[in-house]
Amino acid sequence: MALVRDRVRKSAAGIFTASMADIVFLLIVFFVLTYKVEVDRTKMQLPDTWIRVKVPEKAAVVSIAPPTEGSIIRVSTGEEMSLPVSTDEEVVTFASTLVAQDPNKEFIIKADEDVPYERVDAVLDALKQSKVKYIFLLSDQKTVDQ
Amino acid sequence: MKIKKKEIESEIFTGSMADISFLLIIYFMITSAFSATRGLDFALPDENQDTPEIKQEDSVDVYVMPGGQIQVDGKPIALEGLLPYVADKLKQNPDKPVILRTDPQATYGDMIAVFDELRQAPDKVGIEIKTISIPTQREIENIWSMLGIAG
Repeated sequence: MALVRDRVRKSAAGIFTASMADIVFLLIVFFVLTYKVEVDRTKMQLPDTWIRVKVPEKAAVVSIAPPTEGSIIRVSTGEEMSLPVSTDEEVVTFASTLVAQDPNKEFIIKADEDVPYERVDAVLDALKQSKVKYIFLLSDQKTVDQ
Repeated sequence: MKIKKKEIESEIFTGSMADISFLLIIYFMITSAFSATRGLDFALPDENQDTPEIKQEDSVDVYVMPGGQIQVDGKPIALEGLLPYVADKLKQNPDKPVILRTDPQATYGDMIAVFDELRQAPDKVGIEIKTISIPTQREIENIWSMLGIAG
């Protein structure tokens, strides 16, 4: 009598990847919708406030780095990456040029909370000299425990 | 005799899709930023508008000192006491502007804390401050020189 061996069906081990494509596409859609290039990447601790209004997109940015990094001032048109400036007059020239193109151009001041007010005052003065009309002081959300 | 045609299954090759998708995700993760996009706003007076000359006694003078202490109309006051004081003044004259001056040696955070407090007046004391003026040091010195006061 011939011996009949039971053939054991071997199933290949694998990870179920069918839903991966859905997850990946959901992530891509999320990133496409929320995508925004940050024109100034200076790391700083923004002051915290309760009142926070949305700043307009494409507003020009003047950032003041923390004192530990020399309170360096950088400017950006809102569309290009920020560039450092060495004098307050350069801020006036930069802002005046933008205001000449668009008299209602909004400006954002992004400054570290520990920056001496003297530096912020100089930037404010430069913007006032340039006839800037709308200024936003960037802040983080204040919370109850602060 | 009937010849059976071998049918070729048509399908889209999706083997590389995962690679492309992950590359896209990595790109978006690195270049996108969840930046702070909110803050305190203020509008500067239009130079074409007639700006009324404000006397010091016609305004509420808030001065931020180094360390975050504040003086209102020359008297030291706690931050919590600022809005009740201002509200009392505005009840007599709702058009009274508030002038926010900051010592150059104070920090930006000190100034923002006071400005934020003033902006909360409608919620905290039910009064809207119509004008909050933030003069720069140069503007203050100009006024002092006009009045013949040494800075």
